[in-house]
Amino acid sequence: MKYLSLIITFLMLAETHALVRKASEYYDKSNDRNKNAYIAQELYKSRYYFSSVVFAKEHLIEGKTFSKEFENLLEELVLKTGTMSFYGLNPRVLSRYPSPSLKFILGLRQFNYKNYEAAIKALEGVPEEHRFAPEAFFMKGSAQNLINQLGAAQKSYNTCIEKADTFENRAKNTKLKRYFAIVKESCIIHKARLLFKDRKYAAALKAYEEIPKTSYRWPYILMEKAWSAYHLGNYNRTLGILVTYRSPLMKSYFFPEAEVLSALSYFKLCLWGDSLNLVNQYYSVYRPHSDALKSILLKEKSSHTYFLKMLLKPIKEMEDMNPFVRNLMTQVRKRVKFSLDLVNFQKAQNELKFIKKLKKSALQQKMLEAVNGAISWRTKHLNHYIKKQMFGFINDMHRFSYEMFNIKLEVMSLKRDLVYDNQKLISNRSRGSHENISRTSTEHFFEFNGEFWADELGEYSFGLKSNCKRVDKVKKVSQSKRGRR
Amino acid sequence: MRSLLLILLLAATTTSFAQKPKKNVIIKYKKYESFDLGNLEIKGKIIAPGDLSVKERQRKRFSRPLFERDHFDPEVRTDIQNLR
Repeated sequence: MKYLSLIITFLMLAETHALVRKASEYYDKSNDRNKNAYIAQELYKSRYYFSSVVFAKEHLIEGKTFSKEFENLLEELVLKTGTMSFYGLNPRVLSRYPSPSLKFILGLRQFNYKNYEAAIKALEGVPEEHRFAPEAFFMKGSAQNLINQLGAAQKSYNTCIEKADTFENRAKNTKLKRYFAIVKESCIIHKARLLFKDRKYAAALKAYEEIPKTSYRWPYILMEKAWSAYHLGNYNRTLGILVTYRSPLMKSYFFPEAEVLSALSYFKLCLWGDSLNLVNQYYSVYRPHSDALKSILLKEKSSHTYFLKMLLKPIKEMEDMNPFVRNLMTQVRKRVKFSLDLVNFQKAQNELKFIKKLKKSALQQKMLEAVNGAISWRTKHLNHYIKKQMFGFINDMHRFSYEMFNIKLEVMSLKRDLVYDNQKLISNRSRGSHENISRTSTEHFFEFNGEFWADELGEYSFGLKSNCKRVDKVKKVSQSKRGRR
Repeated sequence: MRSLLLILLLAATTTSFAQKPKKNVIIKYKKYESFDLGNLEIKGKIIAPGDLSVKERQRKRFSRPLFERDHFDPEVRTDIQNLR
């Protein structure tokens, strides 16, 4: 058996070398107008994907021919190396060919440049049965959503859910299955967001319920569910959903917005003391986080590699790091885009090793330059991604700190009004009671006994009574005097 | 008759052009004058209400615009940026 596998490996290596030699000969001698397409094909067959991309791009720029075989090659290259490989091509080149793969990349590019109508037009070039159809409909729905074509967006999201489900069932690879499951969940979440935007909060809550707790997106949508409950006036449910973030399982997640929403919910229940406590707690918790992040960011902000190196460090070496920064790194690592880009980056590094072992030739030199360029660009790209996430977090912290300050001012102003009117709120601190909990038939009910249980997460609700009733201070005093007599 | 008219006309124009000698006019104002406003009488009908009254009303209280979420558009954008 060992011999057999050795023979197979040897044969495969021999075949690869033969294909590269063939491509090299073509590169040196041929004047064929399809020369670059042919070399790209040969390099792809010999698994030099990142080198193949360079020749495929050159063929597209030359714009001489476009065959079905070449389209298949493009599709495979996008899958093996990511959309970023062709993202830098001029939109005129991307729109020139009847290629669904290029139309998909053009759609992504137009979306990122906020040309939503152009993105929708480009994405119409991706057929419903195409491999990129789930993502294309997801993107199209989002573009329609952002230009307020809500009906059309809903249709696109429905198609996305249907297509992603079909692809998920069809996929044999576990990773691919998981990927399509994530796309499907993303479309469901976007549908819920659409309902939220349309002020159909109850329907939005129902749509969010479709996301299983095992999904990696679930912790992120808790916040959106909490907002839906808030708009429905169910502040106890909002507080209950947000308390989930305090469970040890969610330790690596930081949502400054959750603190603001909790403070707002207490404010709406007129529990001003609790609101102010949260505001003060926010400053004491998030300030050290912000300082820790700032100390790293400001020192290394111009580095093109520091953040990527930091993220790739083994966990043991990260132990002396600020726990908050470590948790933030964990969050970044969990992002699908980041994982895919990181895999592609590692693939490019492997390819470079193999190219270095090839016999020196003009083609080998060109492949070396191309893959080195791709690695350098991807390093900067990944590093920028992590840096952007961290800057985003600092900005969020400061933005929400301003919102917290506003709540504090409003509470103080209301307290002053009470004093001027010689009134007070009905009680200093509202007590919880089951009577104050409202829930739908699909919502579960558990009592919180100081412990977080995995199956209960996200199902909590507070039982606080609204404290908004004002009573006359003088009357109250006189009543109590009468009582004593 | 014509010559008589001419003479009369000439005489009239010469008298109108002749300047009178300037008189030294001195205007004198009263150095002190007092008015007793309470003693002044005004005749007429009163058409305005006799006393001023202010209607009591609830003062308008302006509240600060607190943070509100109406959509998740930024998150929608980020999700697409995180695609593949």
